[in-house]
Amino acid sequence: MEHERCYIYTPPQSEERAAKRRRTDSSNHQAQLSARLDIYRELWAQQEERIHATLEEADRSTLENIVNFISSPSRNHDQGLTCILTGLIIAGPSIASHGPFFDRLGRKIRNETNSAYILLTSGECPNLKSLLKNLIKKVTSRTEDDDDDDIAQGVSSRRGPKVLDFDLQHVQEWQTRNHVEKIVVAVQDSEAFDAGLLAEVIDLFHSWLDRLPFVLLFGIATSAESFEDRLSGRALRYLEGEKFNVTQTDKVIETLFGATVASTDVPLRIGPNLSRRMLDRQKDYVQNVQDLSDGLKYAYMSHFYANCTSIFLKKDITFKELPKEVLEAVRNLPSFRKWVELLLDSRKTQEVRKLLDSDEHLFETVKANVISGQEVLAAVTAAVIVLVRLREALQMTSQVPLSSIWIRAASGELAESPLLRETMLSIKKVSSDKLGQVLASFKAAESIYLPVDISAFQNALEDLLKQKTDSTPLRTQDDVRTNSLRTTVVAQKVELSKHKAALSEQDKLYSELIARLHDDLENYFNGTFIDPKELFLSEILIYDLRSPLTEVFQPKPRFAIERALGSPHDYLGCDCCSAAGDKGAEAALSATQPATAILYQLYLESGSLINVADLWAAFNAITGEEGEDNDHKTMALFQRALAELRYLGFVKPSRKKTDHVTKMLWKGL
Amino acid sequence: MKRKFPDNDTDASTPRKLRTRLEDNPVFDPEFEEEQDVVPEMQTPSRRKRGRPSPELDTPRKSALKARPIPGQETPKSSRRVLFSTPSKSREDDTDGTPTIVRNADRSARRKSARRLIERAINGETSEDDALEEDEALAQQILSDEEEEADGADPKVPKTLYHEEAPIPETPTKRKRGRPKGSGKKQLEKQPSLVPPERLPPHELYFWQNRIGGTKTSNNILSAEVLLNHDEYFETMQSYQDMHDPEKGFLLELHSRAFDQWLFELSQGFNICLYGYGSKRSITEAFTSHLYAHLLSQPAYAGTKKPPKIIVINGYTPNTTLKHILTTLATALLPKGTRLPNQPPSLLKLILDTLTSTPPPHPIPLILNSLDSVPLRKSPTPTLLAQLASHPSINLLCTVDTPLFPLLWDISLRTQYRFLHHDTTTFSPYVAELDAVETVNELLGRSGRRIGGRDGVGFVLRSLPENARSLFRILVTEQLALMLDDMEDPSFDGEPATPRNKSTDAAAQGIEYRVLYHKAVEEFVCSSEVGFRTLLKEFHDHQMVESRKDSGGAERLWVPFRQEELEGLAEDLVGEAF
Repeated sequence: MEHERCYIYTPPQSEERAAKRRRTDSSNHQAQLSARLDIYRELWAQQEERIHATLEEADRSTLENIVNFISSPSRNHDQGLTCILTGLIIAGPSIASHGPFFDRLGRKIRNETNSAYILLTSGECPNLKSLLKNLIKKVTSRTEDDDDDDIAQGVSSRRGPKVLDFDLQHVQEWQTRNHVEKIVVAVQDSEAFDAGLLAEVIDLFHSWLDRLPFVLLFGIATSAESFEDRLSGRALRYLEGEKFNVTQTDKVIETLFGATVASTDVPLRIGPNLSRRMLDRQKDYVQNVQDLSDGLKYAYMSHFYANCTSIFLKKDITFKELPKEVLEAVRNLPSFRKWVELLLDSRKTQEVRKLLDSDEHLFETVKANVISGQEVLAAVTAAVIVLVRLREALQMTSQVPLSSIWIRAASGELAESPLLRETMLSIKKVSSDKLGQVLASFKAAESIYLPVDISAFQNALEDLLKQKTDSTPLRTQDDVRTNSLRTTVVAQKVELSKHKAALSEQDKLYSELIARLHDDLENYFNGTFIDPKELFLSEILIYDLRSPLTEVFQPKPRFAIERALGSPHDYLGCDCCSAAGDKGAEAALSATQPATAILYQLYLESGSLINVADLWAAFNAITGEEGEDNDHKTMALFQRALAELRYLGFVKPSRKKTDHVTKMLWKGL
Repeated sequence: MKRKFPDNDTDASTPRKLRTRLEDNPVFDPEFEEEQDVVPEMQTPSRRKRGRPSPELDTPRKSALKARPIPGQETPKSSRRVLFSTPSKSREDDTDGTPTIVRNADRSARRKSARRLIERAINGETSEDDALEEDEALAQQILSDEEEEADGADPKVPKTLYHEEAPIPETPTKRKRGRPKGSGKKQLEKQPSLVPPERLPPHELYFWQNRIGGTKTSNNILSAEVLLNHDEYFETMQSYQDMHDPEKGFLLELHSRAFDQWLFELSQGFNICLYGYGSKRSITEAFTSHLYAHLLSQPAYAGTKKPPKIIVINGYTPNTTLKHILTTLATALLPKGTRLPNQPPSLLKLILDTLTSTPPPHPIPLILNSLDSVPLRKSPTPTLLAQLASHPSINLLCTVDTPLFPLLWDISLRTQYRFLHHDTTTFSPYVAELDAVETVNELLGRSGRRIGGRDGVGFVLRSLPENARSLFRILVTEQLALMLDDMEDPSFDGEPATPRNKSTDAAAQGIEYRVLYHKAVEEFVCSSEVGFRTLLKEFHDHQMVESRKDSGGAERLWVPFRQEELEGLAEDLVGEAF
């Protein structure tokens, strides 16, 4: 079957038995795994819901605007001035998100308006003819065969003259039957289209506008101006455009992160290292919402697939359904050990003994601690959200996004951090008009439990404001505006002295109020910003392993192949080639290595042009043995190894000299 | 890179430096005497007229080249030396008839100078002549730069200059000439730097190996008998036992432990991409059977006789197209007798529509070996495959072999593919993916071996009409003539990356289609282009002729044989052996 192109798999006869055997021996493990995977499915379904909602929400207003624009009554016909309605959709530079956006747009347009929606991409429309063919095919949703296109189509139509299959007449026929209000033609990647082609299309559509109600939508990755520059004035005159801005991907990603990771009701959290990695990747390389959600999904998958203690994340888990091994595994968790040591330090030996001896006791403890740990993590997240809102309300100059604050909090760096100090200092200086906003923003976040009595503060503030007569806001003693610098010249020396303006009675009261708020908040932040890694059972609650995720999404295939060939022992782990490791490059070339690996290492030593005859000589010197048969064997290996290097793209033929090949890849570049 | 400068220096001001060194560094005097022999040769027109009639010139040069023994070829010094001093030697040939071979054999400067001294002592006249020439040369070198420019205009000089520029850093003479003072020391210092420095960082190593003059290789060639043909290769390989088989088995076992994980990943809507060194067919095979067993145990198949359908695609087979893949998929998916559209995009649309409207009980598994193979790289295929793979009812597990495969897909394709990558290094040989013998032959430009070499060609020709034989004879002789031209061309010393070598390339590229056609018409082999094409087609079918477009866009034909084999062929053809 190996030389067949494609086939449907049929198992060899002896297959059945092996399959059965496998199933029995892993049944116990399998059962537990499927229980864990059930939890995974449940949790991920919630997350997926969130992601979906976020994405829908992100461009809801844009989509609505576009739909309204499309369904707006055609202004053109009655005025005698005919222009094609054109929506310029500024979709931003992250091309990967354009496809899903236009899909969502199409769904919405089809559902909410009586219009046909046709999406064209540059790949399927290299010229006007194929563009029209495509368009017609999509409008009329014909599924006929398109082999012998032009002729067959023409001959079969008996009514009137034959119509070529790129004639918009087809659309008109279809329109007389269906009577749609608008025919929306969306050009997804307008930059990739030839400008001349676009002009032709616009020209053509315009000439049909009296019969077919076209609306054009252009997806633009750059800017409306550059789109305009590409079109000729004549084409532009036929267009009546409106600009729509799509929410940019980085903002979407930020909200997505807020919804899925830095949110209060998430049972399993992605750890700070992983989050940072994923966000950095978004920032530096891809900008792709799907990539982020895939990463999250895979993290969830890995956690539940590989970590057997993750079963404790099940909400109503009972002791009976839990296998013993899981509890044993819990006893081996680093955080369990740390916790036990803490208990021992505080001389709770009885408790420790119980934990070690009684499975049931351990189960109850773990169950309780998982819940409390989740609460602690939720509190941390809540504090982060409070902090972000506080900074927003205070209108702090340096804008730090929620994701980065959350990551700092989750890695335990936020307590005592300059960021927090800076925020607290500016609270001290806040004036009464801003304080109102701050308190209101706290109040607005209902889902977050804040141990500070916001209402009391609000009432106190209102009382103070009532007593005031003038319109100037109240200031605190720390406000810079109450300070002034005074310069005095004493004995030809300038002296600077700080002077505090006298505070009014109300200002003093206000300062006290602020001081109380400050202290309350400070206590709150200091109390909640703990280091989550130190948390008991953090292995269950937080997934922060880099290993499978990075390799799975950002593989290093070149490195893998170079390593396999450069030091095959790393993979093979055999006894014969292992001596190579410590003695350096010279010793590495032992004859026992696979032929391709030997040849590859010789290849590494040579220059950009390689003489195959010399390569053969060197290869033969290393692996060759005496005798006619062995000569053949060595040569066969050499040929195979060289062919493999060619297959992998390391060498290519050179015509510069006879029997020479050109080096293509340098190791480690 | 440093090395380059002295070379260029020398090139630009060769005569002048010679002179200065003559004065400064008397140690090298004998050597310079000889070189000065050359310089006047090139600069005095009178001498050239007298002493260098062109046929004479060519013969010694050619003989020198051919007679050059193999070890001599390895040292670049030899070829250059010979070339550079050719004129003077040809004159010596005239005067005292020293055999060329002997002179080539003892190349050392000291010996030469000694011999020259003896010659002078014996032959008073010539030495006087030499002395005269030397004076003349000196006088000319003292003259202004315009003189040098005039030298440059001399047709012979650029060639020599050019040869000095050729990347032969090791040549001692050049270094001496470039460095008037302490050149001997310098040379000693430079010698070790030719050994690659230890443990260079990768980028430095790249520049080091790509430096000017770094591509110095020997002229050794593999003799035709060394390479195995298919029969020998397979015979040998069948009896070959790899000592690493247990370890490879272990690697396979290791990878197969991940099968359940892969099933889970596939079930979550991801596609899987396996990379790493070694053929991964054994893995996909094992996984397919694992998957088959897994699907059989699913409720959809419990109690039914209908087997689950897993589609396996071998992307490495040279004529795999998207259409095959889609057709196979369609036959698995659609009821029998459905008329399938011919064009892959419409077919794909039909499949995707069917999958969306009537989703199968489980995603259809697609096992694709070598997704990055050449036939699947062509333009519309990756886009359509990605569309297919992005459908939730399709599970794609594919393997890739090349180390740079991620570059094949842009970000939107990668988003569609939703790949999870797994390193599955197996170290197994690419048995099915790769024809080792043929690949190596192609790599070395010996694809003519494919049809069984000279005998194979003879066999084909015997079964062809007289005209075809004549055409092939013309083709072979023309190609040989081109090759010989190259050989005679003094520049043919195998220096890579030099403009001179364009002619060598041209020979390798073969005869231009038009030229061959006219020759064929002249010899009454054919009367029209149609007939010519028909004859050529036969050769093409038997892979006796290859054609490609050269840089100018003209089609060039060539017979994929090496010179020796061509010569044999030509003999056979002329001798009517066929």
